[in-house]
Amino acid sequence: MLDKLVNGFETHLFRNRIWVILSFILMTVFLGYQASQLKMDAAFSKNIPLNHQYMQTYTKHQKNFGGANSIIVVVEDTSGNIFNANFFDVLKNVHDQLFFIPGVERSQVKSLFSPSTRFTEVVEDGFAGGPVIPADFTTDDYGLGVVRDNIEKAGIVGRLIATNYSSAMVSAQLMEFDPQTGEPLDTIAFADQLEEQIRGQFENGNIKIHIIGFAKMAGDVAEGAKGVVFFFLIAIAITAVMVYLFSKSLTLTVLPLVCSLMAVIWQLGLLTVVGYGLDPMSILIPFLVFAIGVSHGVQMINGVRSRVLAGQLTKSAAASAFRSLLIPGGVALLSDTVGFLTLLAIDIGIIRELAISASLGVAVIILTNLILLPLVISYTDLSKLEPNEQTKQKIEKLWLKLSMFATPKYAVWVLICTTLLYLFGYQQSANMKIGDLQGGAPALHQDSRYNLDTFYITNNYSITTDVMSVIVEATPEACTYHSVLETIDEFEWQVANTPGVESTASLASVAKRVNAGFNEGNPKWQVLPRTTASLVQAVGRVPTTSGLLNGNCSVMPVYLFLKDHKAETIEVVIDKVKQVAQQLNTPDIQFKLASGPVGVMAATNEAVSEAQLPMMIYVYGAVFVLCLISFRSLKATVAVIIPLYVVSTLAQALMTWLNIGLAVSTLPVIALGVGIGVDYGIYILSTMSGKLTNGMAVQQAYYEALVERGSAVIFTGLTLAIGVSTWFFSALKFQMDMGILLTFMFLVNMLGAIIILPALSAIFWPKRK
Amino acid sequence: MSFSILRSAVLVVVASFAATAHAEKNVLAAQIQPLAQTSLILDITATNNSMVAVGERGHVLVNQGQWQQVATPVSAQLTKVFFLNDKLGWAVGHDATIIHTQDGGMTWSIQMQSFDIEKPFLDVHFFNPQHGIAVGAYGLFYRTYDGGQLWQPEFHQELLFEEDVSYLAELKLEDIALYESEKAALLPHFNRVIALSGQRLLLVGELGLVSYSTDLGNTFIKTDFGYEGSMFSAIEHQNQVYVMGLRGHVFKSDLSLSRWTKIDLPVESSINNAFITPDNELMFVGNAGVVLQLKNDNIEIVTRRQGENIVAVTANPKGQIWFGGTKGLFQLP
Repeated sequence: MLDKLVNGFETHLFRNRIWVILSFILMTVFLGYQASQLKMDAAFSKNIPLNHQYMQTYTKHQKNFGGANSIIVVVEDTSGNIFNANFFDVLKNVHDQLFFIPGVERSQVKSLFSPSTRFTEVVEDGFAGGPVIPADFTTDDYGLGVVRDNIEKAGIVGRLIATNYSSAMVSAQLMEFDPQTGEPLDTIAFADQLEEQIRGQFENGNIKIHIIGFAKMAGDVAEGAKGVVFFFLIAIAITAVMVYLFSKSLTLTVLPLVCSLMAVIWQLGLLTVVGYGLDPMSILIPFLVFAIGVSHGVQMINGVRSRVLAGQLTKSAAASAFRSLLIPGGVALLSDTVGFLTLLAIDIGIIRELAISASLGVAVIILTNLILLPLVISYTDLSKLEPNEQTKQKIEKLWLKLSMFATPKYAVWVLICTTLLYLFGYQQSANMKIGDLQGGAPALHQDSRYNLDTFYITNNYSITTDVMSVIVEATPEACTYHSVLETIDEFEWQVANTPGVESTASLASVAKRVNAGFNEGNPKWQVLPRTTASLVQAVGRVPTTSGLLNGNCSVMPVYLFLKDHKAETIEVVIDKVKQVAQQLNTPDIQFKLASGPVGVMAATNEAVSEAQLPMMIYVYGAVFVLCLISFRSLKATVAVIIPLYVVSTLAQALMTWLNIGLAVSTLPVIALGVGIGVDYGIYILSTMSGKLTNGMAVQQAYYEALVERGSAVIFTGLTLAIGVSTWFFSALKFQMDMGILLTFMFLVNMLGAIIILPALSAIFWPKRK
Repeated sequence: MSFSILRSAVLVVVASFAATAHAEKNVLAAQIQPLAQTSLILDITATNNSMVAVGERGHVLVNQGQWQQVATPVSAQLTKVFFLNDKLGWAVGHDATIIHTQDGGMTWSIQMQSFDIEKPFLDVHFFNPQHGIAVGAYGLFYRTYDGGQLWQPEFHQELLFEEDVSYLAELKLEDIALYESEKAALLPHFNRVIALSGQRLLLVGELGLVSYSTDLGNTFIKTDFGYEGSMFSAIEHQNQVYVMGLRGHVFKSDLSLSRWTKIDLPVESSINNAFITPDNELMFVGNAGVVLQLKNDNIEIVTRRQGENIVAVTANPKGQIWFGGTKGLFQLP
């Protein structure tokens, strides 16, 4: 019945082929215009699992305490000493410039020049104090001397001033929305402004500018992502050469490439239509679409070519190739699409975007390469194609050798080796790490400007960017109760003593120091006073701009500064926080995870590791159902899925081995790899299953499948692998990781389909000789 | 007569509070934590074969080769530790806490603690295994005659300012409750009590308090001292007595304690403590991380450690000097 449907469809299409082709061209013009409107887009909130419990705490308190979206600009004097007129002028200008960039939360800009930067000192009759930079500040020796003393008194060395006095910091929080337009803040444009208006304007021989923060990182990632265009051209060139070598025909080289590029254009255009931008993370999708398009295109030209060589006319060869490939090709592409759509189950915006853009792209290929391509081919004249008998014989010899895998004798050995490999891979994959394994921004290489800036700042300041805050939710005016602050203090102390925590800060610990200040600076009074009056006095000195309490001190974060943001470090700290929180939580005082950059990472790590198993189940479930539908045979389905599963496991082992953590960027790779890897098996087994049903011996069936589709399958594997392997050279570390993993999955899945799959078939259909 | 009744009444109250507080909050015992060594340390003392340091959260650390935190039954901040000999020692601190050891600091038991007094002890001194005194904020003064089984409060009226004496006398007749609360707050902080040569005690404290006693601290005589800022510590060295305190104020006098002269310091930070080094030189430590040394009548800066206040200094039997402060225990390179 299905065949009838396909035949009817074919007749209809080929009869109206000119109109079909014309409508494709119109569509391409429309979507090409849409694609030209596509913008780079990297919003912070897309990268985090917004519905995760930690992120709800994060969102709830973001307004009061700033979130994780901060920007730090460090101005360095290359002479190693900041106390000169030029430096202070530049620092003031940087402060003002940053203050006025749209999107900066102006109340949160902090530097030596912000009015909230004050010092206090103890004198005989109490406190004395003032702004670190006095109102009558002049950049002469006297003025600089005063500032130098004030800096010491204010205790901001290591926070706003480098510990070696070679640089000073300006920090700011970013808003989610641009206050002028009300639109979401354009992170990449913001990063460009930082680069132009801060670094471009002020960096020179004497002054170095270091900038870190999510927005800057996103900007650098977008910048690095532009290099992808170059890789794309290389991938097209290599693919073109390979297709030519395969087809030995210029026409048959150009057509699949053009159709595949058309798929890419459609995919990019559709992104604009559905209202998405191009995220640096999903920029690899066009590669995949192109490579998948080419590989299906190659199946198509292979089908047409062999039929033409067998003596058919080009048009009828195209029609017949269309008939025979629509179902297996459609199923393969459909399972890719479904495989990608399963990524929607992961509650991280960026992965969902990836899922949608990838499944759109792959679905489009069904139209461009399974329908349009044969229609266009039907207009060409391939009668001049000459079979190359010598090559043909060589290849047939290879097929004969390969078909030995489908004999029980070899199959046993193949399966034993596969089992051993699987066991090895399984054992290794258990050690796969979650999260980012390196310091700095994991998306970028260790020696990128951004990461060098990060390392400069973490080395010269006592702050680290690896901050997690635990939010203490209590009753209004809670900070005036000794018991509340004592509980916070107890919490802070226990967590401070956790491996991986470098230092901590909270209202409790600051109030203790203020209390010492009220007692003549005597460290013996560095305690939380029991009398309410003294406690209020101590807490009252701490402004809300410190980020240690909100207006009515019902909310008080505890900041944990960690030694790095490796998943293990985060996990140990999170476990400890949970344990201590459980012990100290009462209805009136609740310790809630988590905010700050590491809080976000913790949530992401948890979301990613929780998503891993369901994602695998969905992907395999989808592939299983689709194979079952198309083969109507459990044995065939299992024979396709087992090699895939072995390869996924080996890919995880490879991640362990190469120190690639399971992160937002690498999580989808497994799904993509499985989704595309299944194509090979489907193409081979769809040819075999008909013959097996008719009673043919496994080896013979496999041999004939190889003759028909083998070269296309191997070719596809190579094309896909080459397309993604150009990412090894990407400026972006995560693209490199994805490139390595996808190359591995494409190649090894191809090997699995031509080695493990026939061996399994030999065991599953044993009685046929 | 009425005075002693009152005294025992207070004691009963204190004792019952100490008991209940202790019973209900067993979690208050100090936790053994890796950071104890690098968190606030307020005093270090050396015995013949070890050093004992005390600090925040009831921390006690013993050094018999290396620092090791030992368990204590309190989590209140400890401000001072005193050893009479290698075995017998007392540590005092906030929440009017006094703990005692009989084995050189390895194990400790509570002798006194009261959250209600709301005052810290700041120093403790024993004349012999039975007889000792503990002093603290707002004239807090307790004495024991039985090694600390029973601590009894004393009120050192002789250290009040004259106008306060008459004010209190009037108040006692009018409003006994207000009298009690005022009495508890009028005396200055007693920051440090040390033994001087000639069987004398020296007590220094808030508001320029520098006084001595010739009768084991039963009565004190104020010296004529010009400065009105707080004095945090005192030391006797080569027949000179040095007192030191707020904002770089250090004074010295001969043993008559009547001729005080100010010593000029190269820093303006408060000086918290002094110490006689194994080389018999006088060393001062204080806020803003200063370590100073007296050389040929001249005070020189040894070091200034950033972002740190130094409170404690001592040397172990090998002559190695250890310091303690807001960032814990350390030695100078």
